[in-house]
Amino acid sequence: MSTPKIGLLLIHPAVTTTPELVEDVKNNAPKRNIKIVNQFLINKVNDGSIKLKVNEYNVIHYLTPEEPEKILFPKKLIPVLKNALKDNGLLYGLSDKYKIDALVNGFEIKTTEGDDFYHWVKKPDTDAKKTVAVPLKSSGDAEKKTTTAKLPSFKKASDSKALPTFKKALPTFNKKKVAETKVHVAEDDLDDLDDEEEEDSVFSDSSKARFLDDLDDEDSIEEDDLIEGRDDNGNITMIVCGKSNTKKKKACKDCSCGIKEEEEQEIDNIRSQQDNVVKFTEDELTEIDFTIDGKKIGGCGSCSLGDAFRCTGCPYLGLPAFKPGEAINLNSISDDL
Amino acid sequence: MSSKKIAILYGSETGNAQDFATILSHKLQRLHFAHTISPIAEYHTADILKCKYLFILCSTTGQGELPRNALGDKSSLWQFLKKKHLPSDFLSHCQVALFGLGDSSYPKFNYAVRKLHQRMVVQLGAREIFDRLEADEQSMAGSNKGTGAGVESVYFEYEKRILDFLKEKFPRRKLKNGDVVDRDEIDPEIYIEPSSYLTLADGGDETEVEISFKGDTSMESGKIIKNKRITDEEHFQDVRQFVFSNDNGIEDRYSPGDTAAIYSCNTDVAVQQFLEVQSHWLEVADKPLRFTNGVPNHLKDGGIVQPLTIRNLLKYHCDIMSIPRTSFFMKTWAFATDVTRMERGQEQLDDQREKLKEFAYDQDMQELYDYCNRPRRSILEVMDDFLSVRLPWKYMLDYLPLIKPRYYSISSGPNDPNIELTIAIVKYRTILRKIRKGVCTDYIAHLKEGDHLRYKIQHNNLVRDNYHGRPMILVSPGVGIAPLMSIVKAKLSEDINFFFGCRFKDKDYLYQNLLEEWEKEKRIKLHPVFSRDRENSPDTKYVQDVLWKLGPEMTNLIVKENAIMCLCGASGKMPVQVRLTFIEMLKKWGDFSSDDEARKYLKQMEREDRYLQETW
Repeated sequence: MSTPKIGLLLIHPAVTTTPELVEDVKNNAPKRNIKIVNQFLINKVNDGSIKLKVNEYNVIHYLTPEEPEKILFPKKLIPVLKNALKDNGLLYGLSDKYKIDALVNGFEIKTTEGDDFYHWVKKPDTDAKKTVAVPLKSSGDAEKKTTTAKLPSFKKASDSKALPTFKKALPTFNKKKVAETKVHVAEDDLDDLDDEEEEDSVFSDSSKARFLDDLDDEDSIEEDDLIEGRDDNGNITMIVCGKSNTKKKKACKDCSCGIKEEEEQEIDNIRSQQDNVVKFTEDELTEIDFTIDGKKIGGCGSCSLGDAFRCTGCPYLGLPAFKPGEAINLNSISDDL
Repeated sequence: MSSKKIAILYGSETGNAQDFATILSHKLQRLHFAHTISPIAEYHTADILKCKYLFILCSTTGQGELPRNALGDKSSLWQFLKKKHLPSDFLSHCQVALFGLGDSSYPKFNYAVRKLHQRMVVQLGAREIFDRLEADEQSMAGSNKGTGAGVESVYFEYEKRILDFLKEKFPRRKLKNGDVVDRDEIDPEIYIEPSSYLTLADGGDETEVEISFKGDTSMESGKIIKNKRITDEEHFQDVRQFVFSNDNGIEDRYSPGDTAAIYSCNTDVAVQQFLEVQSHWLEVADKPLRFTNGVPNHLKDGGIVQPLTIRNLLKYHCDIMSIPRTSFFMKTWAFATDVTRMERGQEQLDDQREKLKEFAYDQDMQELYDYCNRPRRSILEVMDDFLSVRLPWKYMLDYLPLIKPRYYSISSGPNDPNIELTIAIVKYRTILRKIRKGVCTDYIAHLKEGDHLRYKIQHNNLVRDNYHGRPMILVSPGVGIAPLMSIVKAKLSEDINFFFGCRFKDKDYLYQNLLEEWEKEKRIKLHPVFSRDRENSPDTKYVQDVLWKLGPEMTNLIVKENAIMCLCGASGKMPVQVRLTFIEMLKKWGDFSSDDEARKYLKQMEREDRYLQETW
C-alpha cells in the first residue's frame, strides 16, 4: 500500500444544511487513498484564527452547499490554499468562476472526466514565462496520455536588441543615417485588473446608477459648507524629505521685501554683459571665432553650447546657442533689440 | 488605451496640476496600467460608477475655489457630486488618493482639495488609499511644511505611493493571448504611441485654401472695430481698448461680469522658425493630413483647423511659445538622435540627450526650473538650443501642448451691440535677450481694424437680479476696471461709489474722460487714487486708503442701506488688503465690537452675494 495522500477538508459554515457532502467525501477517502488529517471551517481560515501549514496537503476539498457558478469565495485565500498544498496537489470545490485567479496563482484547471471531478492542480514553481511544461499523470489510470512538450520560448521581436548579423559594414560616406527611436504600440490588454477581494455582496452598480438620472436642478450643497468646521491640522501626509533643498527664493507677485529689485538688478547685469557680445557681432564678420578671442570668454569652451550647458558667469548667458566661428543668429530676436 | 477602472482627474488653472497629472499618467502607461486622464469637468460623470481607483490632483485658485476646468457645467462630475440627494455610500466602491496644490501666501490654502475631500471621502464614502497630500509653493504649510522642499517633492511622494500600491496589488498582467506575465516597466527610451496620430492624406499642397475650423459649433467669429492704446506712450504698460463685433451680425447677449475667451494663434515668423529647426518637416509642412483614429479628445474645444497641415497646426494649435514642462521632456528626450547637427559629434549628442533626460526625470527639478521657468524660455527656443532633437511630426499633437484661450472681462454694457475688452499687453524682460511676451496679448496687440478673431462668451452670473436699485460700492485697481465699467453702463443703480486706483493720473488713468463725464452727470461718485503720483494723491496711495478715508459714509451704506460691494483686479495681496481694511471699517463705524463679529458679518455678506470678488 503506497503512502496515503494527506487531505484537508475546508467547510463552508452553511454546509450543515447539506451534511451529506461532508459524509460522502469522508467515506470515499480511503478508496482514494486519502487520509483526512484536518477539517476546518473556512471562515476561521479567512479571519486568520486558523493558519494552514505550508506544503502540507496533497488534497484539499472545499465543501459548500452553493452552486458552482454561485460560489462566493475570498480570493485572497486562493494563494493561501496553494501554499498549503504540496506540488501537484489537488484542490476540489471551486469553479470556473475563479478561473483567472486559478491561473494567476499557478493552478492548472482539470475539467470533469469520468469519476474524476473538476479540480485544480498546483503547478510546481518553475519559470512559467518561457516554457509550458505539461505534467504527466502518474496515477496511471485510463487517462489520456499527455506528452510533456517543452514549447520553444519566443521573445517579441521588438524586445530584441541584437541586430541581424548578416549585414555588411555600412559604407562610410553615408553620413545621413540617424538613429531611430523605438515606438511602443499599446496592446489592448489592460482593462481587466483583477478584482480585489469582495467577499461581501457585490455592490450593485444599478442601484447607484439611478442617482444619475435626476440631473435636473436638484438642491446642491454649498461649497463653503464643506470647509466649515473642518479640522485640517491632522490627516495630511507629511513628506519626509531627507535633503535640505535650499532653493533660491523667487519674488512674489506683489513683492515688498526687495527680492524683486534684486532680480531686476541681476537681469540688468546680464543684459549689459550681453551687449558686449551682441555689439561685437554686429561690427565684426563671421570669420572671427569668438571662442578663441581673449575678451572675457570663459576657458570652459561651453559658450557656444546654449544656456543649458553654460556657466553662471558666461557672457553669452541668455543668448541662443551658436556655432563657434559664426555670428550669433539674431534673426529670431532682431525685432526686439 | 483607455480604461474606466483607473482615472486620473485634475483641476488646473495655470497648468501645474495638469503637468503632474500628465507625469502620473505617463508612469502608469509605462507600467501597462490602462486608465482615463482628463480635467475634472470633462470626465464623463456616469463613469464614476465604474471607477475603482481614482487619483485627483487639484489646485486652489481665486478665493479658495476649484479651477475652471474642475467646475464645469450642471452635468459635470463635481456639480453632480454636490447634489444633496446622494447617499452617504455613493462612492464606497471607489478608492481615492488626493493631491492638492496651493500657496500659503493666500488665505484659503488648498481649500479646493479639502472641499473634494470633505464631499467625496467624508460625505460620500470614498476610501482614501492614503491621507491626502497638500503641496505648498512656499514650503511653509501642508505636506512640505518646513522642509524647504518644493511642490514637486510632494508630487513625487504622491506618485510613489500610488505606484507602490498598484504594483503590489497588480504585480502581473494579462496579455491579449491569455498569458499572464510580470508587470515590467516599458523602457523610458521607448515612445508610447498615442491611439490617434497624424498621417498624410490624399491631395496636393494646401497653401491657397482659406482657413476654417471644424468641430466646435459654439465658437464665434468677430471683426475688430477698434484696438487703441489708452495708456500714455511713455508709460511702461500698454493697455488697449479693444472692440469687436460679431461676424454674423448676432448681437451677443451678455451681462456685467461675463468674460470673452479669445482663441489666439502664433505668428507666421515663429511657425517658420520652428519648421526650420525641425527642417525635415519643411517638405511636408503644407501637405494635407488626416488622423489615423479620429480627432483626439483634447482638440475638441475650439474646433480643429482646416486644412489640416503641419503649418496650420503649428500656427493655430501648438503652443510652441509656452514654457516646456516636465511632461514635454518626458515624451521627447528620446528623440535626441541627430548627430549630424552636432558640431562636436557623438559626445555632444550624448550630452544633449543626457541633459534632456535629466529635465524629464530629475525629481529635484532645479535644473529644469533654472533653464526654462526662471527665464521663461519657450519650446521653440529650447529646440534651437538642442539641435539633436529630431521630432516626428506624426505625434506632434501628443507631445506639444495646446494653445489655450485666455479670458478677459467685458467692459462694454449689455445694450452695446459690440464687445469691448480692456486688455493689458504682457511684456517683460528676463535674462533671455528676446523680450518675453504674452502669447494671447501679443496676438491681440497686432490685430488691426478689419481683422478677424475667434471667441466665446462665458456667462458667469456675477450680477443678481436683486441688485437693481441698491447702492453699490465698486472698487478696482488697474484693468480690474473692466467689469465695473460694464456694471455702470448697465445702469443697475443710481447710487454708485466708484473707487479706481492706478499709478499716474496722466499716464494710466483708464477711461478718465468717460468716468469724469459720468461724475458730472451724477451717475457715479468718483474716487480715483494714484499710487506713484504725489501731486494728485498726496495723502493716499491705494484704493483701500480712500475707502478708509470715506469710512463712515461707506460703512453706513453697507450696514444700514444694504449696499453691494464689488472688488475686481489682480489677485494676490490687493484683495487681502482691501478685505482687511473693510473689517477695520466695520469694527470702527459699523458697531461690531470684535474682529470675529466683523468677520462673521463679512461672511454673511458673501453668502448673500453682497461682497463680490472678481480677481485673477
